[in-house]
Amino acid sequence: MSSSLSNFIAADSEKCIGCKLCEIACSQAHSESTAFTVGALTSPILPRLYVVQTPEITVPVQCRHCEDAPCANCCPVSAISRKNGAIIVEKKLCVGCKTCMLACPFGAIELLPVYENGKPIMQPVLCEENESSVDEAPMLFAGKCDLCTDRAKGPACVEICPEKALSLIDPARMKRDRNIKAAMSFLNTSQNFS
Amino acid sequence: MTKVRELIKIDPELCTGCERCKDVCPVNAIFGKKGEPHRVESSRCVFCGQCVQTCSGYSSVLDEPETPRADKLRERGMFESTTEPLFAAYCAGDALEVAAALKTDKFSMVQCAPSVRVAIGEDFGMPAGSLTPGKMAAALRRIGFSRVYDTNFAADLTIMEEGHELLARISTDATLPMFTSCCPAWVRFMEQHYSDLLPHLSSCKSPQQMSGALFKTYGADIDGKAREEIYSVAVMPCTCKKYESARPEMSMDGYRDVDAVITTRELAYLIREAGIDFTSLPDEDFDRPLGTYTGAGNIFGVTGGVMEAALRTAYELVSGEPVPDTDLLFVRGGEGTRTAFITIEDKTFKVAVVAGLKYVAPLLEKVRAGEADVDFVEVMCCPSGCISGGGQPKVLLPTERDEVYMCRRKSIYSHDKDSKIRKSHENPDVQKAYADFLGEPLGHTSHKLLHTTYTKRDI
Ligand code: SF4
Ligand code: SF4
Ligand code: SF4
Ligand code: SF4
Repeated sequence: MSSSLSNFIAADSEKCIGCKLCEIACSQAHSESTAFTVGALTSPILPRLYVVQTPEITVPVQCRHCEDAPCANCCPVSAISRKNGAIIVEKKLCVGCKTCMLACPFGAIELLPVYENGKPIMQPVLCEENESSVDEAPMLFAGKCDLCTDRAKGPACVEICPEKALSLIDPARMKRDRNIKAAMSFLNTSQNFS
Repeated sequence: MTKVRELIKIDPELCTGCERCKDVCPVNAIFGKKGEPHRVESSRCVFCGQCVQTCSGYSSVLDEPETPRADKLRERGMFESTTEPLFAAYCAGDALEVAAALKTDKFSMVQCAPSVRVAIGEDFGMPAGSLTPGKMAAALRRIGFSRVYDTNFAADLTIMEEGHELLARISTDATLPMFTSCCPAWVRFMEQHYSDLLPHLSSCKSPQQMSGALFKTYGADIDGKAREEIYSVAVMPCTCKKYESARPEMSMDGYRDVDAVITTRELAYLIREAGIDFTSLPDEDFDRPLGTYTGAGNIFGVTGGVMEAALRTAYELVSGEPVPDTDLLFVRGGEGTRTAFITIEDKTFKVAVVAGLKYVAPLLEKVRAGEADVDFVEVMCCPSGCISGGGQPKVLLPTERDEVYMCRRKSIYSHDKDSKIRKSHENPDVQKAYADFLGEPLGHTSHKLLHTTYTKRDI
């Protein structure tokens, strides 16, 4: 277990063109089916990052894998934990209470339907009109970026982005690199003193 | 000229203005400011549908657009039962119209282009390039078509007509080089931008239109039907084939050769709507005679295929001997332009193959200047030929597209390799059609049914 800060994916809003390919690639990376054409999809596109488009900015937003993750702290059933340097939701444990969704300051969590073999999994819920009977509703879980830790080629969104707007940031390493750069520039400037 | 149908459209509610479609459009027909909804200028568009294949702006279930999904489906000519995600750039389809017509008492005849059979399985979860001619024929029969014929038959016929046309042009010093005319997007581009060079286009109709013309004459006779009883449908990998079938030149005595065109994707919608489990269908044969085909007919679906099929036959027509090797590897390849020589007896023919409309201009400029040193040119608008057409199953991730197209291409060639007959002029039912009905290549009946004319078009 390393003591370093967890990685996260950062997007460059200067580069992002809003094509949403990252969302599609993310959904594909988290789907059990092997469908690779639109017609063969048996579930909707369910991304774990969200391309935001406003008149001022176009950029995808996703989990920062906070060190003191509010979502994990507040989850009443302990479905969220830190694994392999990422904040992960255990799909099977999640009860869809939405507490983490409210707690995340970035809006990085969305309640997504659970699909198995091309069908949404349904669960019994209390009927609104009649308290004694039950109805069926799709089962939901808190879907969020898991840094594609199960994927050999790393995060799918980073790989697909045609504008190279996304990158996997290792904060500890980035800090060290910046320190070295600063030191070098210090060296250059100090040489000018003599 | 009446206003052309707006075949290729962009849904302003879904378009994010990313401009990726602009990058693939070979004729700069897409307009719009970055970050704002784009639009297609139909008068410029050649209807290739490459933008449809590229667009990744989709309608998310997490964020429903203003217009309800049901309305969007109707606008796109899709069944209400279709669940696939909707993308901003799309082709307005005809599956609803075909489904309705199949319920009437018309005698329906259907044809399928070669690249449909190497791709349709993908939309049912099969591996890339799965070869499924038999399942496709079975599905079409179950959907309710009275005759399940094949465009490949007419591809063989095209080789007969086009091959003789080329040799006639060479022997009479007529306009050369001759360009193929199978790809309607390419023909439209010529009519729009190089109308002075139209005499260079082969006068042959495309295989789709040759099939249609035969369905309503020869085919109708075989079944004892009148021309007006026939409903003629084509299943195509290409969105522009919808435009081609509607051209006024593509009809006879007021009857259209092809009444409706659906894409590979739309056939998949029809199969799903009918509740057919495609993957478990048995392999069935196409109906004869208009469904009999050779390996040469089948390779029309890839870039270089028309050229290869033509050379297999031309070699024999000129020399009286079969081509030494049926696999003419020198005309095969990918996107871009390639040239080759073939020596038949003491004559050397120079041929060129262009895949991707954006590569054709330099060659056309040379032809214009009278400096093109080439006899016969195949042009296809789409980057890998019809297997990469705008109506084919849409590959979700661009990183996988090349691999998928390669699988489709391999599958086309292996189907050719495994065919008992691999040369168009050896197709027994093509020979029979000439003997019983058409007479001879370039003859009177051929001329009337299988050849056409082109017109200058303004943009
Ligand atoms: S794939 Fe890249 S350019 Fe496209 S929306 Fe995502 S971050 Fe932006
Ligand atoms: S989902 Fe939100 S709260 Fe949870 S780790 Fe990510 S950013 Fe932090
Ligand atoms: S149509 Fe699609 S590819 Fe073109 S700009 Fe709009 S979202 Fe992008
Ligand atoms: S269909 Fe082809 S020609 Fe028309 S806008 Fe799309 S890419 Fe351009």
